[in-house]
Amino acid sequence: MALELSPKLNQRFQDLLARYAVKRSALVPMLLFAQDEFGYVSEELIGHLAQVLDLRRMEVAETVSYYSMLRRQPAGRHHLQICTNVACMLRGAQPILTHVERRCGVPPKTPTPDGTFSYEEVECIGACTGAPALQVNYDFCENLTVPAVDKLMNDLQAGRKPPPIPFTSGAVRATPHPAEVRVLTSRFGLPDSTSIDTFLQHDGYQALEKALKQMTPEQIIDAVKRSNLRGRGGAGFPTGMKWGFVPKESAKPKYVIANADESEPGTCKDRPLMELDPHQLIEGMIIAGRAVGAHRGFVYIRGEYRTVMETLDGAIAEAYERGYLGKNILESGFDFDLCTHTGAGAYECGEESALMESLEGKRGYPRIRPPFPAVVGLYGCPTVLNNVETLSAVGPIIHKGAEWYASLGTPRNGGTRLFCLSGHVNRPGIYELPMGFPLRRMIEEVAGGMREGKKCKAVIPGGSSVPVLTANQLDTPMDFDSVAKAGSMLGSGGVMVMDEDTCMVEVARRIAHFYAHESCGWCIPCREGTAWLRKMLDRFHEGGGHAQDIDQLKVLSQNMLGKTFCPLGDAAAMPIISLVDKFREEFEAHLSTGGCPLARPVAAAAR
Amino acid sequence: MSPRTARGSRSAVIMAEQPGTVSLSVDGRPLEVSPGTLLIEACKSASIEVPSFCYYPGLSLQAACRMCLVEIEKAPKLQTACTVIVQPGMVVRTATPQVAEARKAMLEFLLTNHPLDCPVCDKGGECELQDMVFRYGAAESRFEEEKEHQPEQQFSPVVYFDYPRCILCFRCVRVCDEAMDVKALGIGQRGVRSVILPNRADGTLECEECGMCVDICPVGALTSHQYRYKTRPWEMKYVGTPCAHCGDGCKTTLNVRNNEILRGNNRDQTGINREFLCLKGRYAGDFVRHPERLRQPLLRRDGRLEPVGWEEAFEFVARRLREIAGKHGPDSVGFIGSNRTTNEENYLLQRFARTVIGTNNVDHHRTADYAALVAALSGGSARFAASGEVTRASAILLIGNDPTHNHPLLAYNIRAAVRLRGARLYCINAREIKLRRQAAQFVQVPAGAEPAALEALHDDAGEMDNDTRAALKQLRAALAKEANVIILFGAELWGRAVQRLVEFGNSLPGVTRYIALGDYANSRGAADLGLLPDRLPGYGPVSDSQARQAWEKLWKTTLPSSPGLHARQMLSGEKLRALYVVGANPVKTFGLANNRQALGAMELLVIHELFLTETAQLADVVLPAACAYEKEGTLTNTCGEVQRLARPLDPVGGRSDFEILRLLSHALERPVPLRTPEAALEEIRRHVPGYRVSHSALLSGQAVLTAPENGHAPVDTPAGLVFSSDDSLFTSGTLGRFSPTLNSVHERNVPRSQL
Repeated sequence: MALELSPKLNQRFQDLLARYAVKRSALVPMLLFAQDEFGYVSEELIGHLAQVLDLRRMEVAETVSYYSMLRRQPAGRHHLQICTNVACMLRGAQPILTHVERRCGVPPKTPTPDGTFSYEEVECIGACTGAPALQVNYDFCENLTVPAVDKLMNDLQAGRKPPPIPFTSGAVRATPHPAEVRVLTSRFGLPDSTSIDTFLQHDGYQALEKALKQMTPEQIIDAVKRSNLRGRGGAGFPTGMKWGFVPKESAKPKYVIANADESEPGTCKDRPLMELDPHQLIEGMIIAGRAVGAHRGFVYIRGEYRTVMETLDGAIAEAYERGYLGKNILESGFDFDLCTHTGAGAYECGEESALMESLEGKRGYPRIRPPFPAVVGLYGCPTVLNNVETLSAVGPIIHKGAEWYASLGTPRNGGTRLFCLSGHVNRPGIYELPMGFPLRRMIEEVAGGMREGKKCKAVIPGGSSVPVLTANQLDTPMDFDSVAKAGSMLGSGGVMVMDEDTCMVEVARRIAHFYAHESCGWCIPCREGTAWLRKMLDRFHEGGGHAQDIDQLKVLSQNMLGKTFCPLGDAAAMPIISLVDKFREEFEAHLSTGGCPLARPVAAAAR
Repeated sequence: MSPRTARGSRSAVIMAEQPGTVSLSVDGRPLEVSPGTLLIEACKSASIEVPSFCYYPGLSLQAACRMCLVEIEKAPKLQTACTVIVQPGMVVRTATPQVAEARKAMLEFLLTNHPLDCPVCDKGGECELQDMVFRYGAAESRFEEEKEHQPEQQFSPVVYFDYPRCILCFRCVRVCDEAMDVKALGIGQRGVRSVILPNRADGTLECEECGMCVDICPVGALTSHQYRYKTRPWEMKYVGTPCAHCGDGCKTTLNVRNNEILRGNNRDQTGINREFLCLKGRYAGDFVRHPERLRQPLLRRDGRLEPVGWEEAFEFVARRLREIAGKHGPDSVGFIGSNRTTNEENYLLQRFARTVIGTNNVDHHRTADYAALVAALSGGSARFAASGEVTRASAILLIGNDPTHNHPLLAYNIRAAVRLRGARLYCINAREIKLRRQAAQFVQVPAGAEPAALEALHDDAGEMDNDTRAALKQLRAALAKEANVIILFGAELWGRAVQRLVEFGNSLPGVTRYIALGDYANSRGAADLGLLPDRLPGYGPVSDSQARQAWEKLWKTTLPSSPGLHARQMLSGEKLRALYVVGANPVKTFGLANNRQALGAMELLVIHELFLTETAQLADVVLPAACAYEKEGTLTNTCGEVQRLARPLDPVGGRSDFEILRLLSHALERPVPLRTPEAALEEIRRHVPGYRVSHSALLSGQAVLTAPENGHAPVDTPAGLVFSSDDSLFTSGTLGRFSPTLNSVHERNVPRSQL
């Protein structure tokens, strides 16, 4: 099939074909890069890739239709992807969406008649501290208002492309808050902080040198264990223990994967870690490779983070140039290769086994476990998979010592954590605070208190998958164990703060929309349950609820809880159960008023 | 198209059988099962039902439907019994309130988007979802939202997909990918919008149209063209009978109402084919009621075939046969038998020829050289492999043939052996057949060079280019490390090459077993029962007085002692004055011109047929015959397994070939003393070597492997007699030409290499 590729795309394809042990792995990146060039995934492209990758047409078509960023129809030149997930919703995303809809005058995902624009409502894009936000193609536009969006569209229409914002809003402050303990963010705000020279001037790659030259793999794993570092993706599993599960002897190659699929609503910490200090992640990954005996690493990065991936690609190239990646690193005899791998829009691919399926070019379905990835992971080989923040902490731990790192936090909860404070606070931002830092101080001191002096009603402490905390629970210390004790989870560090005017039914509705959109559809309870919850909550919020619906929301959620194939079902159920339990009176109020009693005029919310 | 390796999409399923036992307790009952057993299977073995939709033995594990959630002591939450491997001391509970609640919840979730159109759904009454809701579900639904909906789609002339009914158990996707190695079905979209996708961009299928997806669907999401909106399952009778088409002998359960086949399936999975059927076995029974089916005898008058009564037809044939044989001698009459008539009919036909007329001029279209194989194997025991043994083989050598098209069941079994048991498949073939994807080694040779390849395999001899020779040397080395190889070979090897093949097989370690691959439902039976000019039933040579004497004693007659004319000689137009054809189309098969002149001095051409084929069009008398679904008797599949026809239908107009021959023998006043097929079978069982098959096994629907042998009588097969029709999945000789279903699928026009 004759498909004309530009030289650039052709080069990309050649690079991708050479990159993976299994050719099929190149499929998702090839699709996305080709879509960038052709505007959409055509039948011709599917045929071409099937041929190039030695797949059946069906295998390509199945994969295409799984990922939400891949389109089978052309979009406008500027595709506006408007986030309306909780963090953005709290700060007025809906009026922006409504405005764009009105201005474009076409249905979502459809180009305007002149082909300039198209738009769609998307799930969390990782700009929660700059909410409300949208992406124009891959560029982030944050802290929006309706007039700002209008201006943006005028500029784009006139061919003036506004300069992209350099990094996540709220990641860098002129003067850090005194409570912050800057370990992973120590280089944030330095001029040219992504360059290897800046990194090297500020302790960069010293941990690697130490790990390669002074430590055995066992000592590295032991240090990580002693640091009490726990997984920053959400589950909080002890990192050193995870590494310890990887078999020492293996006939198959081993892999290290950084999970940069950051998609948990309310979470935008991995993005600045890669935007502002990519070498810190690279260093952590090489050390992880050394610890488990892997010589190949992948950064699986969500497709929306294209600009972030480009920064990281630049850093990886620098690291190769300076001999920190590749053969015989620092003359230690240790080899390690690293590359990025783009996703294409799927929250489920943040689940580690689904991520590996996706990396293998397939639909992002989770795998049956056991076996666990440490033994049977990518391509059936032993694989260590950690969150970006987790891997970024490895360098500092090795450099400054496990005990030092552990001492920053609370017992069994070592170190610091990047908290993404979003919602109704005065200073949304990404703050690195010690584990166990009290939630109340986080809101009142670090984030500058509640906006407009309102009262705090509720906080989602760890991304939208966790049970909500009420204003009475603000004294909870923010570490894994304490938050668990309070009946929730520290999760991903996405702290969404809601004021007294927030409708908790609306929050539940928006959360349900997210999980229904992101359910992969593999297992019955999640596939059907998330859709049922979404439909019920839509009806309920609009005033069509019945008294028995309230209990039923809970029963439904409980029927999913613990019965789904992967944790996505639990993630959908837990917040709904907690919202019904803790804000039952708000649900009841919807029944008596025949709609949302807290509905605010659209204009007021969009300031 | 470049070769692709076989692959299953997810984890492997079958564990190697391990020694020892594991003790566990389920619902308080102690169980002992083999190590490696899945908990769901362990429960099943103790008749403890654990419901499931997505779990399907032999397919990869899914754990998606969550119906099989059970309590396991010390596990923090419910576990899926379909993925848990039994552990010693495991304490399992399947009947607790928590488990019951979980099952109820899953069914409630499933019913949210499943339409409750059971009264008009084809699956109603045999729907697994319906059954599960009946047993485990809640009495009422709490779902009041709008259901997901998409209109019904027609994936192919055969397969329909009703999206709302689909419960996304992915059985169809897995059976198509893993068991069929087709992957024409996939999954599109995600979440609640997930949908089964057909493989072509226009939303249709390009596949083998096997209907496995329809059969495996637990609900009414995938349905077949033949059955949709026709009937209710309880209104039909279900008759398991061997398929009338290819030589594999699958048992198809024909679903019959008002003497009409509404579909075929493998309902009870008791056949040698277990869960497998192809398009032909499932839906190509529709030739039976084709409008052009012959229902009345036809007699040529003034150059035209005109309907007449049976008596007149018999009278005419008898008179003419008597006249010709009287004038020109018995050897002026010849018989060409069928590849699809029953063993009893074949036996009767050769007996008719040899005793009523008194000639050895009997032959048929030989699609595999069974006679040569039997001769080469005589003296050895248990050297014929049954079709099911292929599934359990550790190594398979395939020479020639394209089983995917010519032998769909054997191809299925070969794939299963490779996929589930790790068997090695070695192929020598002139074409890039689909099974190369499963092959550990595939050696392509020029067409016709298969015998030479065999010589090279023996000892590097034979005309062969250097690359091929090297490849064959490598193949020989690999085979030398295998034990108990099963060798399958097509019509490419015949005569002496078969002898050489067995010599090669004998040089391999262990017991090498064989399957000769012949085309049609009873090719093997035609050869075994003596439709050969030089062989008596059971392959005794006609020229061997001892062999002859046994039959002469039984039949109370003297048999002609010199071999008769073979098919090509009979058709040459030089020697015969009368040709009697039963269920064959020699004009087409042997490539004769479509006119009587081609048959030379032939004065009489009589045929038993279902349809007015090329040969029938030239005949003087056409006697309408019953098909395999309309009569009694047995068939022997290409492996040598005998099965009994269950006669699901009454004949639409014709008579069985058995009855026609018997009545004709009466008209000739030389009645054959076999009144029924049962009587013929009894005679076969008693007198045909290797056919002493168990009556009770046949009656209970089993397939019984025969073991013919001829005592080392050498075979000298003349050239040009053994050849395959090379039917595809979508053709089936005469029967296929009159099957509306086979004619409807577009794949019949797609080159095989593209499928």
